[in-house]
Parts: sequence; C-alpha cells; structure tokens
Amino acid sequence: MAFLELHSLTKRFGAITAVEDLTFSVERGSFVSLLGPSGCGKTTTLQMVAGFETPTDGRIVLDGRDLSGVPARERGLGIVFQTYALFAHMTVAENVAFGLEMRKVAKAERTRRIADALDLVHLSHLEDRYPRSMSGGQRQRVALARALVIEPQLLLLDEPLSNLDAKLREEMQLELRRIQREAGVTTLMVTHDQSEALAMSDSIVVMDRGRLRQDATPFDVYEMPQSSFVSRFLGKSNNLAARLGESGPDGAALHCGNVVLHGPKADLPPGPVEIALRPERIALTGPDGGKLRGTVAERVFMGNQWLLRVETEIGDMLVMRYNTGRREADIGETVGLDWNPADIRILPAETNPA
Amino acid sequence: MRRNGAAAIAFNLVFSLFMLGPIIVVIGVAFTPEGFLEFPPSGISLRWFRAILDNPEFITAAWISLKLGVAAASVATVLAVPAALAIGRGRFAGRDALQALFLSPLMVPTVVLGIAFLRFLSLLGLNGTFTGLMLCHAIIITPFILRLVLASVAGLDRSVEMAAISLGARPLTVFRRVTLPAILPGVIGGWMLAFITSFDELTVTVFIVNPSTTTLPVRLFSHITQTTDPLVASVSAVAILFTVVLMVLVDRLYGLDRLLIGEGKR
Repeated sequence: MAFLELHSLTKRFGAITAVEDLTFSVERGSFVSLLGPSGCGKTTTLQMVAGFETPTDGRIVLDGRDLSGVPARERGLGIVFQTYALFAHMTVAENVAFGLEMRKVAKAERTRRIADALDLVHLSHLEDRYPRSMSGGQRQRVALARALVIEPQLLLLDEPLSNLDAKLREEMQLELRRIQREAGVTTLMVTHDQSEALAMSDSIVVMDRGRLRQDATPFDVYEMPQSSFVSRFLGKSNNLAARLGESGPDGAALHCGNVVLHGPKADLPPGPVEIALRPERIALTGPDGGKLRGTVAERVFMGNQWLLRVETEIGDMLVMRYNTGRREADIGETVGLDWNPADIRILPAETNPA
Repeated sequence: MRRNGAAAIAFNLVFSLFMLGPIIVVIGVAFTPEGFLEFPPSGISLRWFRAILDNPEFITAAWISLKLGVAAASVATVLAVPAALAIGRGRFAGRDALQALFLSPLMVPTVVLGIAFLRFLSLLGLNGTFTGLMLCHAIIITPFILRLVLASVAGLDRSVEMAAISLGARPLTVFRRVTLPAILPGVIGGWMLAFITSFDELTVTVFIVNPSTTTLPVRLFSHITQTTDPLVASVSAVAILFTVVLMVLVDRLYGLDRLLIGEGKR
C-alpha cells in the first residue's frame, strides 16, 4: 500500500467537472508532480488533499488513514502556496514558529526546531527580518521552513517557483530537491511547467481536462508518451496525422500523404493514427540524403542549440541541433531530414484534439 | 510629465482658495481682540481662546462629543468588520442587499434620518439619552468603516488564512493572529474617519439631543443663533486643530489618499 493514495477522486462544481475519476499513488519519501495546463484540475486536486475542498466522490488515503471528514487543520500537512502566503506582520522566526505554537510545542524545543528549519533553508541569519524586506527567493525559503518545521507527513507545493525569475527558478529547482531529500518528506507538487516537473520529480502525473493522462517517471513520460496531448505538452514534438498500415517484421508502415515512413511495431489496429518525433532526434543531411527532403524556413539561434523550421511535403518539421561551433543550414537551403525509425512514436489519433 | 498651462494653474489656485477660505476666515476671526466677528482681524489676541474657559458648557459639550465619537466609532467597528469580511469574501444569497443595507445611511437624507431616529428612540424610550444618541451615530458612520475595511479585505490573500489553517489554527485564532492584523490599517483608518464624522455631526443630532447630551456642533449652532461673538470662531479653531492632528495620524497610519479615494491599492 502506497503512502498517499487517491481513489477515483472526483470534484464537480455544479455542472462543471473539475476532476474526474482520478486515481494515483505516491510512495513514501518520493517527489511527485501533478502537471497540466491551467484549468486541468491539478490545483483542485491539491486543495482536496489539503482539505480545503471536499471531494464529490472518491477517497484520499494517507498512510492508511482515510482523510474524508478530517478538517484541514488536523491533517498535519505542510503547504507552500504560490504567493508564499507569509504572515506579513510577523518576523521570519515568528512565521516559522506559528505551526509549533498551534501544536503547543514547549519553548525550548520550539527554539531548537525553528533554528533547525531555518538552517535547512539557509536563512538562519535573517530570522528577525520581516517578509516585505526579503527577495522572492528568500520568501520562498521562509514558506518552506514554515511548512517543514511541523514535520508534516506530506508536503504540498502549489506552483512554488512560478513567481521567481528564470535564473532563480533553476537554482531553486535544485535547492528545493535538496531540501526535500534532506527533510525526507513525501512531496506532491502542482505545476504547469513541464521542465520543472521533469527536473524535480521522481514521478509525474499528467492531467488534462480533469483526467489523468499518464503517470510515469519523467523519462518515460517524455520518451513514451501514451497520447498526443502528453507528447505535445512535454517538450517540443513534431506531430503528424498518418494512417497505420499492416505491421511487418521490421516495423510498421505509416502513410503520411504520399510519403510512406517506417516506425517501430505498433500495438494499434491499422487505421488513422498520430505520429510524434522529437526535434532533437532529427539529423540534417545533404539534400539527396535522409528520409525526407525540405527547405529551411526559419532558423533561431539559442546559444547552445539551433532551432530550425523545415518545410516538407508532409508539413513543417522542427529540428533541434546542438551548436557545435560549425555553421548551420541557412534559411532557404534545401536539406534532407534523417532519423532512426525507432524514435518515431505511434499514438492513437486524437478524436477531440486539445 | 505634462506641465499645466497658466489657465489650469490659475483655476486650481482659485479653487484651492475657495476650499480653504472658510478655514482661513474662522482662524483669522478667532484671533481678533474685538467683540464681534471681524476679518481680517485688527490685531492678534488670545482673548476669545481664554473666553472658552469661561464658558464651561463648551468644554462639557466637547467632552460629550469626544465620548460619543469614541463609543459610536467603536460600536460601528464591531458591526462593520464582520460584515465586511462576509460581504468582501462570501458568495451567498442576499450579499448585495446586505451591502446596500449597510451603506444606506449614506444615501438617505440626514434630515429624514433625524426625524426617523427621533420617532424610533421615543418608541424605545431612549429619547435624549447618551445611549440613544450613540446608537444613531453608530448607524450613520457604519458605511464609512465598512468601505475602508472592504477595501482592506479585497487586498487580502486567502491563501494566508489557508496557510494558518494548515498549520493547525482554529477559526478564531486565524482571525485574531492573521486576518485582523492584515486588515488592521483599514480598521484603524475607518475608525478614525467614523470618529471625525460623529464628532462633526449636526443635522441628525439636532433632532435627538436634549440639554444633558448637547454635543459640540449643536452647542455652537445654538450659540450662533443667539449671539454672534468670536467665541464660535475660537472653539472652531480648536476643533480644526484637533481634526488636523487626527488627519496627520490617519495619514501616517493608513494614507489619506487611500482613505478618501477608498481604493484598496497597496
């Protein structure tokens, strides 16, 4: 039995279904991300785990205990909010002390635990400051210390990095993971940022329109997307409509317009499918080589890599090339595109594209 | 920044003078050595300020106004804060009606209110009492506090309260330790504005005072209907000074702009 289990969790607001039949579990000590676009139900799910929303249906079980009917203040969870939600009129130490006071922890132990928590987030030198005189990153750390000091069974993070600037966000990704490991606390994070989810999680639960789309490790979610939505939501992807022919011994034939491509063996019945190919798996060759010929229509230099848009007869293809210091194909140039057929993912055709 | 033209500057100057005129005249008259209302004063004298001390009924009236303002503003605050929290954040049937009810004393003509209160207080047997007067003032000034507290509540981040709950706080503790401190500037600003409004109130009060509860504005009003000596000016000058001190305090605590424009900007 997993540490946190959500069973067929459903939440309806009037006629709107925010979360539908959501089932997944979180192992003790692991870091799981709920990932999806805004309005996909991930925040509602977090609110239900926290106890601020009541599920319409389904159960939440934490360490073998059903949380239905347990009020938010008795769940003993640590929560870091998107806005940090610090108590503005209290110092850093007073903010961190709040949860311990509510638990009637004795003064001496309280002082020790506040010091430990601030030490964990590297803020010991700022304990007498007020939140308004601190940077976004420091406030974030205060919010973390305040949530962790009560030694919560579960840490909930609601878009914790979205209010930080890009550079600080990358630093905090590593830092947040270090703190989570050191505290050894089981963590559920809500985010719409796929790179954040990929970088930080042991496991990602992808949600869309209230439903679970995939629940796997970051590597598997990226490499083996099970739907068009997941392939497009995580990283960049070239998605093309195709018709799956009969699978032979060396893979499947895929008909894209007048072109026939080869892909790995598919479990799907012959018929309309969608194929996905990552831009970084495509190599550029001379105009007469490769599997597809095209013309470079756009070229963006990103420092460590180039992003090219190549027009081909079956549609535009994005190609990502590492910047190796050599010149890259120019706009208007005719190139050949080549890839390993095993890198093609064959997905069920979306009946109702997002 | 665009510069104002000469016409705009002249207009603003004239308008400011028009606004300040009465205050300048009252303060000028208060310092006259003569026995009649004279402006500009022919000399500088504290004669009429000393005269206040010889007319203890003014000091008694000021004292009643002060107590009345404090009591009415406090009662109105106790009513307005929970109302503002409910109206500002709740979604329930009758929310708009409730807000309209609390703000209605601003819309009803004060003369009408005065007559209504007079009847109402006789029915309750509170006519002419301090308690009756205080309750009427509390009703008149509640909208001022409500508006300011509503502005504070609008700027309140719900997740701050959720954070307190998740850390184990009970509802009353959340209010006392988190919500109230967050809206406190609005509450204090509202209390002060309400106090000043009560301290100044004449139209309604005239209907419901009796000799033992005569407030300062009513005392001034009745004095001026009998005689026209500069005593009213010196009393007014003291009241103006008192108001200025309060306003400076409010500005320091809350910001006058926010208070008078009534917006919840932070």
